[in-house]
Amino acid sequence: MMGLGSVPDFLSMRWDAARPRLRLAIGALIVALVGLAGLTPKALFGVPLTWPYVSLIAAVGWGRSGLAFGPIILLVLFGFAQDASQAPWGSHGLANLLTFGLAVVVSQTFDGDRGSGAGFELPLACLFAGVALVWAIASIAVGHAVRVTPMLAAYFATVIIYMLMAPLFDLGIRRGLRGGAAA
Amino acid sequence: MPRASGKGYKQRPLRRYGFFIAVAGLIALLLLQSSPRLRGQVEPIRTAASDQLYNVTRPNLVDRLTGAAGKDRQILELETRVRELAQYKALALTMAERLEVYEDILNMQGEPGGAEVTARIMAETNGPFAEALLANAGAANGVQEGYFAENDRGLVGRVVQVGQRSSRILKVTDFNSRVPVMGEASGLRAMMFGGRDGLGRLTDLPEQGQFLPNERILTSGEGGLYPRGVVVGTVLPYEDDDIRVNLEMLRGQLSYVRLKPAISIPRPEDFPVETEVAEVTDEAGQ
Repeated sequence: MMGLGSVPDFLSMRWDAARPRLRLAIGALIVALVGLAGLTPKALFGVPLTWPYVSLIAAVGWGRSGLAFGPIILLVLFGFAQDASQAPWGSHGLANLLTFGLAVVVSQTFDGDRGSGAGFELPLACLFAGVALVWAIASIAVGHAVRVTPMLAAYFATVIIYMLMAPLFDLGIRRGLRGGAAA
Repeated sequence: MPRASGKGYKQRPLRRYGFFIAVAGLIALLLLQSSPRLRGQVEPIRTAASDQLYNVTRPNLVDRLTGAAGKDRQILELETRVRELAQYKALALTMAERLEVYEDILNMQGEPGGAEVTARIMAETNGPFAEALLANAGAANGVQEGYFAENDRGLVGRVVQVGQRSSRILKVTDFNSRVPVMGEASGLRAMMFGGRDGLGRLTDLPEQGQFLPNERILTSGEGGLYPRGVVVGTVLPYEDDDIRVNLEMLRGQLSYVRLKPAISIPRPEDFPVETEVAEVTDEAGQ
């Protein structure tokens, strides 16, 4: 009988064995759940909570696995869901997609340094670029520079959530890598 | 452990094209929305999406199981009703103010009051009547000239002038007032007028008999100005030839008075003779 202590190992083993499509579905489910929770009013002791851009986390995480149609379609759809608030249609989708593309480029460019600190810092830079894109698109849409402080707060919340959930957005494939480069 | 994918390497141009097409499509969509006309056409989509995504008031499964959903729905309904009623209240207040303005414009009088009116004494006038009171009830309240006024202890006076919303009361202490009175014990009749010392004076005394000291003086009802039996005061011990009456109303408060209609003695004209009946009787008698 499996003890409680062996549950993480079991889950880790199952996750390693999971196919990319399943991982993508689980990641999409997480984005949908966190995003839906973000639609509800959130306050802690009367203080409004900052909610992370979880779609950007997915973009950075999926971008490490290279270009694929699945993530592109999902990120566009998530973007439309985010636009339902008051943003122009396509604005969040564009930010998600460009962040995804940046993450793809960064992961392929610096893939040899994955074991170094760049493996942690570069995704944070991608996330920052994604939040900056949202800020830029919002500023262009409304005609003036929107407030930076809420965006920074959202960025830090996104970084915290990324550090906790990054493995769940790893599709487990390295497109374009050959032989020993994938080790 | 990441897997290497050679198939993806071959398909990379296609994915790259797809990526750029998606980016271009989104940019085009954003640019198209710079047109107010197109933005107006897509707004209903946003509204529908917002209704679905932001419908946080819809109860979830936990709320349905715990019964909180029903309470929340009831609270929402009650809040809606309160808002509606608040609107009606504001509307009613506005209409009432408007109605008052219209009535003022039309000089419209309100419904006549009851036979008796309680009025507040606004002032004691110093005009022609040295001993007069001004009450805040008039013809609009059903007060008519001839009403008598009494307080909690006894007779105060009689209404001699009536305005729309005020009336002047001639007090029994005034020199010009005349009140038909009678002794409660002796049954003697007299007229009372006001003296300058705040006491009543009895005049037109009967030729026979005397009022008893400390006897209560009541209205006699003669002449129809006052009803019979209203307390006026008590007879003070005799001094000289004057019979003075200690007025009861001075022992009570004079802030409020009760205005009551005087008795109406029917006149002979109020009972017309039925001539036809009389003629028939005469004919039968013949």
